[in-house]
Amino acid sequence: MLPNERFPKLPYALLALGVLCLLAGSYLGLFVAPPEHFMGQVQRIMYVHVPTAWNDMLAFTFAFFSAVIFLFKSDFKWDARMEAAIEVGILFAFLLCCQGAIWAKPTWGVWWDWDPRLTTTAVLLFAFAGILALRRFVDDPVKRGVWSAVATIIAYVDVPIVYFSVRWWNSLHQVQSSPSTVSSQFYLPLRLNAFGVLFLMTAFIMLRARIASRRLASELVPPPADLAGELA
Amino acid sequence: MTGGYITGGWGFVWAAYGWTALVLTVYAVSLFVRLRKVR
Repeated sequence: MLPNERFPKLPYALLALGVLCLLAGSYLGLFVAPPEHFMGQVQRIMYVHVPTAWNDMLAFTFAFFSAVIFLFKSDFKWDARMEAAIEVGILFAFLLCCQGAIWAKPTWGVWWDWDPRLTTTAVLLFAFAGILALRRFVDDPVKRGVWSAVATIIAYVDVPIVYFSVRWWNSLHQVQSSPSTVSSQFYLPLRLNAFGVLFLMTAFIMLRARIASRRLASELVPPPADLAGELA
Repeated sequence: MTGGYITGGWGFVWAAYGWTALVLTVYAVSLFVRLRKVR
């Protein structure tokens, strides 16, 4: 069933809601929340960096489930969703590396370090960028869908490795915080921005899936009857 | 950095927020442009 556009206005509503949440969360994070005890003002980058990280994991998780469902059901709707989630995941992973580098310079003294968290995130970014590149080089939609779904499942192995890397290995990157270890003054802007990025990510995936669905619909259309007769 | 406390740093904060806003805006615009093309 292509293209799938049951709620045509929903992504635009989510975009607006996401922007509102991000404006409110960023205002609180930049001007209301106090500076952190050791990192000072630089810690304010957390309010945008951590929500990007959470939602990046979520985007790749959605790509993983879309890949599995596509392999089982052969429904190209899921192929379009997988393509969309991979592209948005790459966007967020790229942003994550940029924000992390900007945070790393004043706190660690370097823009980049090959520590486990950063290295596994870079691997994630390039692995999924490779899958998107692979899709560009395969013309047959069936082969493209199956190959990229298999590659997505393999590349997804890196997602839990990224998450647990700070616990498994000796990393410069700090371990995950929990609500019980974060002051409520830090918690509200973080939560608002997390929902803001979540709404933006969902809207981006929905809109990008529409683009992929429409392209797939034109690729999967059967040839005209006279041409089909010639081919036979 | 003095005594384990990072002083200043607003430039890095604005850079992170500005770059994030720019990248997200450019991507959103690119989506609308591509959506119009395939319509």
